[in-house]
Amino acid sequence: MGVIMQLQQKGKKDREVSTVKGETTDLALFVRTSEEDITGWNRHRIVEALLRETYIDPKTAEKISIEVENIILSGAVKTVTGPLIREMVNAKLLEKGLERARRMHTRLGVPLYDVDQLLVHPNKENANVPHSPEATNLTLSEGIKKEYALLHVYSADVGDAHLSGDLHLHDLGFIDRPYCTGQSLEYIKKFGLNLPHSLSMAAPAKHPEVLLAHMVKFAAALQSHFAGAIGWDAVNLFFAPYLEDLGDRQVRQLAQMLIFEFSQQAVARGGQAIFSDINIYWEVPKHFENVPAIGPGGNYTGKTYRDYEDQAQRFAWALFDVYKEGDASGRPFFFPKPLVHITEKFFKTEGHMDFLHHICDVAADKGNTYFVFDRGDTAKISECCRLSFKLEASDFEDAKEPWRMRYSALQNITINLPRLAYKAEGDDTKLFTLLAEKMMLAKKGHQQKKRFIEKLMSLGENGPLSLLAMKCDGQEYLRLHRCTYLIGMVGLNELVKVHFGQEIHASDEAMKFGLKVIAHMNIICKKLNEETGMKFVLEQTPAESTAYRFAKLDIAHFGERARKVVQGCVEKENMYYTNSTLFNVGQTMNPIQRVEQEGLFHPLIEAGSLTHIWLGEAYPDREALADFVIKTFKYTQNDQVAFSPEFTTCLDCGKTCRGLHSTCTYCDSEHVDGITRITGYFTKVSSWNKGKVGELHDRYRNDNQFMKTA
Amino acid sequence: MVEIKGFLETSFLDWRGRMCGVMFLSGCNLRCPFCHNHPLVQSPESLDSLDFDALRIKLASLKKWLEGVCISGGEPTLDPNLPAKIQQLKKDGWAIKLDTNGTRPRVLAQLLADGLVDMIAMDVKAPLQQDKYDQCAGIHVNLDTIKSSIAIIKNSGVDHEFRMTVVPRFHSEVDIINWASFLGDDSHLTLQNFNPQSTMDPSLSTDKGFPPEIFSRYREMISRLGIWH
Repeated sequence: MGVIMQLQQKGKKDREVSTVKGETTDLALFVRTSEEDITGWNRHRIVEALLRETYIDPKTAEKISIEVENIILSGAVKTVTGPLIREMVNAKLLEKGLERARRMHTRLGVPLYDVDQLLVHPNKENANVPHSPEATNLTLSEGIKKEYALLHVYSADVGDAHLSGDLHLHDLGFIDRPYCTGQSLEYIKKFGLNLPHSLSMAAPAKHPEVLLAHMVKFAAALQSHFAGAIGWDAVNLFFAPYLEDLGDRQVRQLAQMLIFEFSQQAVARGGQAIFSDINIYWEVPKHFENVPAIGPGGNYTGKTYRDYEDQAQRFAWALFDVYKEGDASGRPFFFPKPLVHITEKFFKTEGHMDFLHHICDVAADKGNTYFVFDRGDTAKISECCRLSFKLEASDFEDAKEPWRMRYSALQNITINLPRLAYKAEGDDTKLFTLLAEKMMLAKKGHQQKKRFIEKLMSLGENGPLSLLAMKCDGQEYLRLHRCTYLIGMVGLNELVKVHFGQEIHASDEAMKFGLKVIAHMNIICKKLNEETGMKFVLEQTPAESTAYRFAKLDIAHFGERARKVVQGCVEKENMYYTNSTLFNVGQTMNPIQRVEQEGLFHPLIEAGSLTHIWLGEAYPDREALADFVIKTFKYTQNDQVAFSPEFTTCLDCGKTCRGLHSTCTYCDSEHVDGITRITGYFTKVSSWNKGKVGELHDRYRNDNQFMKTA
Repeated sequence: MVEIKGFLETSFLDWRGRMCGVMFLSGCNLRCPFCHNHPLVQSPESLDSLDFDALRIKLASLKKWLEGVCISGGEPTLDPNLPAKIQQLKKDGWAIKLDTNGTRPRVLAQLLADGLVDMIAMDVKAPLQQDKYDQCAGIHVNLDTIKSSIAIIKNSGVDHEFRMTVVPRFHSEVDIINWASFLGDDSHLTLQNFNPQSTMDPSLSTDKGFPPEIFSRYREMISRLGIWH
């Protein structure tokens, strides 16, 4: 694209090629077209492009082509390229007030300077993207797809709302993919690995290692068709029928293979690790008890999953043995994230306290464990940083044939809550009206993305989403009619601070007001569901970069008012808004109060929520943590808890120690990197964006027991 | 005057197996150079004092979560009101853990006799050699008091542990083995690694703890000696 050619006199040979009637000029120009193929200058190409791409009339097109040719002939331009000619045509369209035609005729691309910057400097939008040729490919393609999405998929009002920071359309660079997916191993256990257009077809696995290989390949295939997380339901249970003949050492080996396979997949799409989650149950979940088990070769074993509790538990235990050990240098594994479901049945299942201590030991030591609370009859699949899907009646029907269980959220749109408060200027009615307006805009954005994905899906197995259109079980892999549409939020804490005058944690009234806002959002979602037949649910947006982007844009739009409100240091550009409905991360607040009070929001946020307990350097007692987990289940409405320790890893000696330090505690090297949770996953601190670095600095780590006198 | 100078509402690491609240009392009769609660010892006036009854109210609000209250310091046995404080907390329904340096065996004996303590953690500073102990405590210590406290605690029948902060500058592998052997295999010895952040003796701030793999080896060694660590 865009290679510049010197203008030159046309040679004899070329004249033969490009003479079009009498209208070609004597002076032919070499133009490198987007097909990267050198062709002779032909003014009619401009006309053709205008007629093909826009709605303007042939006469105007003709006129523009002549005007552009005249500029070139005037000698003002010494070198000419296809992109340059296009821009000249666009300038003419603009001169003539043909804005719509200009938008349609515009070119998507990246300035030379930006590409140079990109190839040399790391991308900090997503800490899960390393800096490599694959990563820069991803960033470049994302850049173009993002522009395409804003110009061509979304209407101008939705696109403008994104650009101005009223809301955030997540993963615009992945406009041609749904957001995330959760599924069970049963699909590949039953159908093998038979992907559309693949070079070979694999029958259902006969051995556990092969099943694992299928799982990893399929996850990689899914990663290249979804923007976000790839989640797996009840992994330990669905592996169980393959484990009966394995000794404990072999089970441990398999667990180790699984975790290393997923944690070392940073060689896949865009050099990005597969954002993978594995859901783990100590018990056999009720909805799988009577389901016939699929074993080696894709055959039914003649037993139901109820009979595989022992094997499933053995595998679950082994997985956490591996997490506890960490990688070869003792670091925690970043992926796959283990989500353990704590349910009523968990507490009735033998050995649960030993297992709880085991996973709490991992939480204390490495931090990996997520504790997902399914109270009463709810059952969930969790994935992504917080996202989880509650299973409904139709899902329990699906559970009888678990390969049908696949869930996807099509897109996430996040609303900038503090901005509503700046605009409402203390007026409640105005605030709630603005909130409703932004949610309507989010609905519109969702409908537009839905239409676009539907269009791609309608091309079936010959279209770009052939993998999602495959119909191994009679239904398309992506069940569009079952998709959810996420509406997220950033900065409830700052909205309350501006509108109510206090942060959420500061008083019961502030808390109540915060709940009122989220309850209102929840009600609007329900109304939108009725109106559209689509399923809108609230999600706690992980907001890895959005929390920073909104804060930065609000300082630009609202100046001093926003400066006083954002968290972090504005001078150092470390500003951020507090994520979703979380409380001020720096507030000295005991973990009990945090899980209780943040948990009050969780029932309103159906796609799942999470409370973080930052541990810093402290090494808690596993039994005390277990007690905390049990009480969180019993006494609160909290959906999910994770404990996050911090580590320093040395880039010279390769060793890892506890706590964030400026030098290596082993070899004194200053060449170190921190490791802790950024949002819902562990990563290296050096890759964090400025806003998250600001947040890291502020995080309360259950210490500060002494208050200095003023 | 002894005052409450710090309060951690929820601790996951001060009482094995339990979530507890922790109160920190000012004042100490030792000057351990590696102490990092030293403002409590040297400049308690620089820290806010907390009202005991206000803390009781706070604790009451966490009743169904916490399994006890840990009283730490400084050295809490220096507080003439310690028995009264504990009695009040007991009345409020709390199990009590006491952190002590073992220099006041008579106070310990009385608290135990009155059934006021459910768990004791005693810090031991060095092997029972006068020069070493004095060096690690930063002050002259009557070793008889230490021996006496150890005996009282071991014979009390109350849940207990002995803790030792190991500092490369002061402690050798032999010291640790000697200690473990002295305590015998029915005792609970926990090792803590030295942390150079904010030490009483600023010259220690450039020292380092034992490298983690050596520290883990010491811990394993103790468990091999048959002592629960």
